[in-house]
Amino acid sequence: MRKNIFLLSLVSIMLVSCNEDFLDQTPRSALTVGTFPVSESDAILATNAVYNGLRAWHINTGGFPILDIMADDASKGSNPGDGAQLNDYETFKHNASEGSMERWYKTLYEVIRRSNLVVNEVPKINNMDENLKQRLIGEARFLRAYYYSLLVRGFGDVPKVLVIDPPLDLTRAPYTEILNEIIYPDLEFAVSVLPEKSAYAANDLGRATKGAARGLLARIKLFYGDFPAVEKLCEDIINSGEYTLMSDYKDVFSANFEHNSESVFEVSAIPDSYVNGGNQYANTQTVRGTPNRGWGFGRPTYSFISEMQNNNDLRLEPTVLFVNEVIDGVLIVGDSPTLDTTYVNGVIVEVECYNQKVWYPGPDPNTSFGHNRRIIRYADILMMYAEALNENGKSSQALPYLNLIRNRAGLSDVTTTDKNQLRDIIILERKYEFGLEGLRFWDLVRTGKAEAVLGPLGFIKGKNELLPIPQSEVDISQGRIKQNFGY
Amino acid sequence: MVKNVVTICLLLCMQHLSFGQGTITGNITSSEDGLALIGVTVEVLPSGRGTLTDVDGNYDINKQMDDSIRFSYIGYKTITMPIGGKTKIDIVLQPNAEILDEIVVIGYGTIKKSDLTGSVSSIKAEDIVKVPAPNAIQALQGKVAGMQILNTSGDPGADPVVRLRGVTTLNNNNPIAVIDGVISDVSQVAQLNPNDIASVEVLKDASATAIYGSRGAAGVIIVTTKRGKSGKNVVSVSVEQSIENVERKIDVMNGREFATFLNAIDPGSYNNLDALPNTDWQNEIYNSNTPITNANFSVSGGSNTSNFYFGLGYFGQQGILPKSALSRLTGKMNLGFDVTKNIKMGFDLSLALSDKENAPGVVGTALRAWPIDRPFLENGNFADVMGGNPVAAIEYTNSDRGLIAGLGNLYASVNFLKDFTFKTSLQFTHDEGRGRSFVPVYFVGPLQQNERNDLTYSNDNATTLIFENTLSYAKEFGKNSLNVLAGYTAQDSRNEFISGLTENLIREDDLFWYLNSGEDIYERVSNNFSRNTLLSYLGRVNYSFDSKYLLTVSMRRDGSSKFGINNRWGNFPSVAAGWNLDRESFFPKISFLNSLKLRASWGIIGNERIPGEAQFSLISNDYNTVFGENETLQPGASFNGGGNPNLKWEETRQTNIGINAGFLNDKLTVELDYYIKNTDDILVPLEPIGYTGVGAFRSIFYNAANVQNSGFEWNINYRETKGNWSYGVGVLGTTIKNRVTDIGQGIGADSLLVGGDLGNGQQVARTAVGQPIGFLYGYEAIGVFQNQAQFESTPSLFGQTVGDLIYKDVNGDGRITAADRTFIGSSIPNFVYGFNLSAGYKNFTLSADFQGQTGNKIFNGKQTIRFTTLNYEEKFNQFWTGEGSTNEHPRPTVGGVNYLPNSYFVEDGSFIRLRSLTLNYQIPSKSKWKINSANIYVRATNLFTLTKFTGYSPEIGAGSAIDGVIDRGVYPITRIFSLGLNANF
Repeated sequence: MRKNIFLLSLVSIMLVSCNEDFLDQTPRSALTVGTFPVSESDAILATNAVYNGLRAWHINTGGFPILDIMADDASKGSNPGDGAQLNDYETFKHNASEGSMERWYKTLYEVIRRSNLVVNEVPKINNMDENLKQRLIGEARFLRAYYYSLLVRGFGDVPKVLVIDPPLDLTRAPYTEILNEIIYPDLEFAVSVLPEKSAYAANDLGRATKGAARGLLARIKLFYGDFPAVEKLCEDIINSGEYTLMSDYKDVFSANFEHNSESVFEVSAIPDSYVNGGNQYANTQTVRGTPNRGWGFGRPTYSFISEMQNNNDLRLEPTVLFVNEVIDGVLIVGDSPTLDTTYVNGVIVEVECYNQKVWYPGPDPNTSFGHNRRIIRYADILMMYAEALNENGKSSQALPYLNLIRNRAGLSDVTTTDKNQLRDIIILERKYEFGLEGLRFWDLVRTGKAEAVLGPLGFIKGKNELLPIPQSEVDISQGRIKQNFGY
Repeated sequence: MVKNVVTICLLLCMQHLSFGQGTITGNITSSEDGLALIGVTVEVLPSGRGTLTDVDGNYDINKQMDDSIRFSYIGYKTITMPIGGKTKIDIVLQPNAEILDEIVVIGYGTIKKSDLTGSVSSIKAEDIVKVPAPNAIQALQGKVAGMQILNTSGDPGADPVVRLRGVTTLNNNNPIAVIDGVISDVSQVAQLNPNDIASVEVLKDASATAIYGSRGAAGVIIVTTKRGKSGKNVVSVSVEQSIENVERKIDVMNGREFATFLNAIDPGSYNNLDALPNTDWQNEIYNSNTPITNANFSVSGGSNTSNFYFGLGYFGQQGILPKSALSRLTGKMNLGFDVTKNIKMGFDLSLALSDKENAPGVVGTALRAWPIDRPFLENGNFADVMGGNPVAAIEYTNSDRGLIAGLGNLYASVNFLKDFTFKTSLQFTHDEGRGRSFVPVYFVGPLQQNERNDLTYSNDNATTLIFENTLSYAKEFGKNSLNVLAGYTAQDSRNEFISGLTENLIREDDLFWYLNSGEDIYERVSNNFSRNTLLSYLGRVNYSFDSKYLLTVSMRRDGSSKFGINNRWGNFPSVAAGWNLDRESFFPKISFLNSLKLRASWGIIGNERIPGEAQFSLISNDYNTVFGENETLQPGASFNGGGNPNLKWEETRQTNIGINAGFLNDKLTVELDYYIKNTDDILVPLEPIGYTGVGAFRSIFYNAANVQNSGFEWNINYRETKGNWSYGVGVLGTTIKNRVTDIGQGIGADSLLVGGDLGNGQQVARTAVGQPIGFLYGYEAIGVFQNQAQFESTPSLFGQTVGDLIYKDVNGDGRITAADRTFIGSSIPNFVYGFNLSAGYKNFTLSADFQGQTGNKIFNGKQTIRFTTLNYEEKFNQFWTGEGSTNEHPRPTVGGVNYLPNSYFVEDGSFIRLRSLTLNYQIPSKSKWKINSANIYVRATNLFTLTKFTGYSPEIGAGSAIDGVIDRGVYPITRIFSLGLNANF
């Protein structure tokens, strides 16, 4: 009996002594903050993950080309029943509960968190190449500024998050604070440390460049009306000699000319699923039905098409993919439930067609994931430069840059130097040059033309310049995060 | 003289027989079945010489100067009688029902029922199999007050949803199951063969469950399986064959109604309604009269020093939905040995091998596919159907899961110093699962096609090892009875998962459904592992004085690896007292009230059922990117969601008072309890505020709320036998009052949690202080705009027009905004009840088991989630057609403002259901076959349901309580007719 009691005590003591070790179970097969990033290779991995956000489906306005649908160059598209909730964006009846906004907003903050991981943790890494370290931080700050710029342009004031685990009682910071304390310093830093496009190694093509940082900064300064800054930034880009216009507009978006001489910032993708390097951006928009390549959202409007037809604009064919057109040897038949031509009172209001800029050749829907989304083109740099020169009282200096773009489209030179007239011409030119590229809506908003152009569709001045803050954000914060006016 | 001699001889003989030596013989049988009892101890007194009965129940024993004889047998009443002059004594032994009923299994031990202080419901084997049920969990239905067993799905093998005393927490509300001392999950109980079960105890209050500490917050179900008895071997066989059908279909629009509705939206869409097809998609997908087969076999027996029980079972169910079948083989082995007089050892093992086809997800599709589309083209190919072709979806679904589940317990106990017992046991559960899913190349339509075939294969295994050591001390001195238990347990759970995916298999038939058949470039593999550990110290003292005054005090201290270093340990004490009034001298000796006991208890129980890594923000290596002139994939790594390093134990404080009373010599028994459960720091996964950057559709665990549940529960039974007749009535019920008392400690929300995501950006459930958990939230529809004047004078939501639903301006600010959304129904019933009736005549017994609940509401989510034009349910036929047509149903629209979460889609979930109706015939035991006992029965399950709810079943199990109850289209429950036979040899 004594032996039993002795054994019992022994077993108990043995077990008790290893208590805390036994209860310490760190996660297997996954790292946590503090154990990552801690080395040069970690820093590269963490930075790459920030780029990964550019291919996330939700990053494209919650998965759908909502910004094009809201503008006058595209309508909802797809077939009438699919994505019916998106009709509300076309008529500006969208409300805060529509899921795309929540997906977009949350995903932007998700990738901002990834940027913050690099910006906050990589500087602590010791044994790594200092130049590489600065470059990686610069890339992460470039992307953080890009993601934040989408937030402030879309939603206005937004919570300011620069740490990995932010406090849970934040309110919306004024957008000027986001601009002045995050976006502008991030981009200025990026301009100072990032290499030019040509200075990168061939296998790093696609990383953020000095030119891209200047271009993005110019785009944001333009949106907020700082024309002298835009002029300077565009001038620097032009003078860098890194970029030239492609001679043929259709090559700008072609799969054969990815990262072409006109590309300032572009999202590389592989024709396969997202996990294998694909981007669903094109799949969402490209041909639906036969050949079945995608969902067909964001259909070029009939007015957009006829205006370009009337102008004999060479950009029409490369921008719009019509039914019965043959492209890369494939006959476009389209979607059977979608009418080829829709009439109202005998007048054509819509024809079935698709965004040709996202066309990517291949046998199945997966290959359409290979389209490289062009985010900043040199054509935009030139157009921004022209606009800034005009606004800065140098209208005549603006003309050659505007005409470079027009001539490529087969259009004649503009000669007027009347500032107001030229402004209208430049904004209209942007509509055709950047059709279906998500820029038109913001051009109308920043130039105050939105009410005039989009009012008939339902645009309400004072309200629709901003998108609604997702209802879930307002609800979870108990109203600390306030809704935008009118929603 | 001769006469005298004879007389003297007789007298001598008698004297000899009475007082002298001699042999007594006889046969012992059981009163239960009239069969011989083997191994009965036969002793002559006072000498104490003894023997055992043989295999035929016979004995012979020599007596010397003995004058009485004693027969004793485990589980039977001992008989002692004078020998007198008899040389042959045959005895019929009566089972000692009293003693059997007295012992109740509690955590880490047993206790006399009269000494019980906690709220424990005990169900014995005969009650489990009396009304045969398809599985061991269903067998408990209607037998335990306060326990709700939800029949959420008719999918073969669907996990049961069990609720004990309401919704305690926002996460997993299933009680734990302890099977032969091994802590596991209620889904494991469902895998047991009901015929293998000796007893089930349900521990409800804190006094009973606190000994399980961290695991017992939602209650504990203790299952004890049968063990062999020394003596004759018993062979049992049971077979049951059933057929099942959809209990009821959902009333959706037929082709004509649907086209009429679309015409009303878009006039002229369909000109010839008579020419349109009319497809009833529910008829297309559900099979009728599908079979269920259940067969079980067991052998048990033993000797003086050992016992065994072997069981084997088969269960096969085809399912009403094609490709949803389940087949399961179960094996059970319980072995016990007395190594020495003081050392016992044993090994228990349960094994279940199952194969389940994962039901094709077509229920929602079938309810919403266009009824004016046909399933097939004229050439026999599948037709493209708006909303999806569910028949094609079934054809192209090939998914199944195999599972080997084992549960074992190797134990030894040592009895020493007379009153001490040390017990050590090593327990394990091991689940080995594999899943395989293959989708061939097909084209049904642009939205329903697969251009490259694909295969997914996965293997998961979960192993839990528990090392448990307890030391107990039991002593009676005078009128005092003391029982002390101390223990230590260590638990180690490991899960590993590996899955592989490939595409473009070289052939499509099932001989090639292996990863090697795919194209290398598509091959992807994932693999992960998690490990959780738990350490516990436990102690308990039971004290009873004269069986009148009872006291139980227990304490458990748990440490869990799921919490960070500062919050790792939790203490879970309990105290309970009981008073058996009927043992007091002042208790009136009246037959009307024959027993009365008062009980009171208080205790704290913990909960830690969250994923082990919930405390960490994990980095995933999945965020690759593409760079380079040749576009190559570069790896990237960053956060994959978020974690909460400050997580701590969720704790439930429960107070319980109860009465047990027996009337009319226990013909009428009454058990009444009142409980209050306060659960604090509830662990719940929440989608945090978006700017935290956790990402869309991702959640983090928080200790986010406090909830109070309170209620009365009762279980009243009346049993009566008169001549050939017997009857019984049982009524049980619980009132549930569920109220959130505090919310949002540090989650960014001060007074409310948002749940019930419909997947379209809308969340229809809220959890707020002062309300029940997960109530439904949305606009309150109070009518329909009848005309322009009314529309213009009434607040409306942007985008509304005449014919749309009028939403109530709750805050009275003259406009309808998101702020006007309000409480539109509680997801939690306020009253759950059941009653059973039985009547017997001679060998026939008819029993009925009803179940019901009231007060809960269900959101009909399958009608509001509309990404495109889909079929509608019947009530939309009554759409608004103009002024005065209806003030309830809106004008026809494809989607939009009328489909926002609002009270139009809230339905009453109250119901009463005849869960089972069974007619049983007990075959007379003295029949010509060598059968000890046998019965044959017919049973109808889910014969009818009275409810206003329009879905398949109002018993919908929500994933998380904060999501409310949303009907998204579930596998329908079925009506089952069964014929069965049980026999013991």
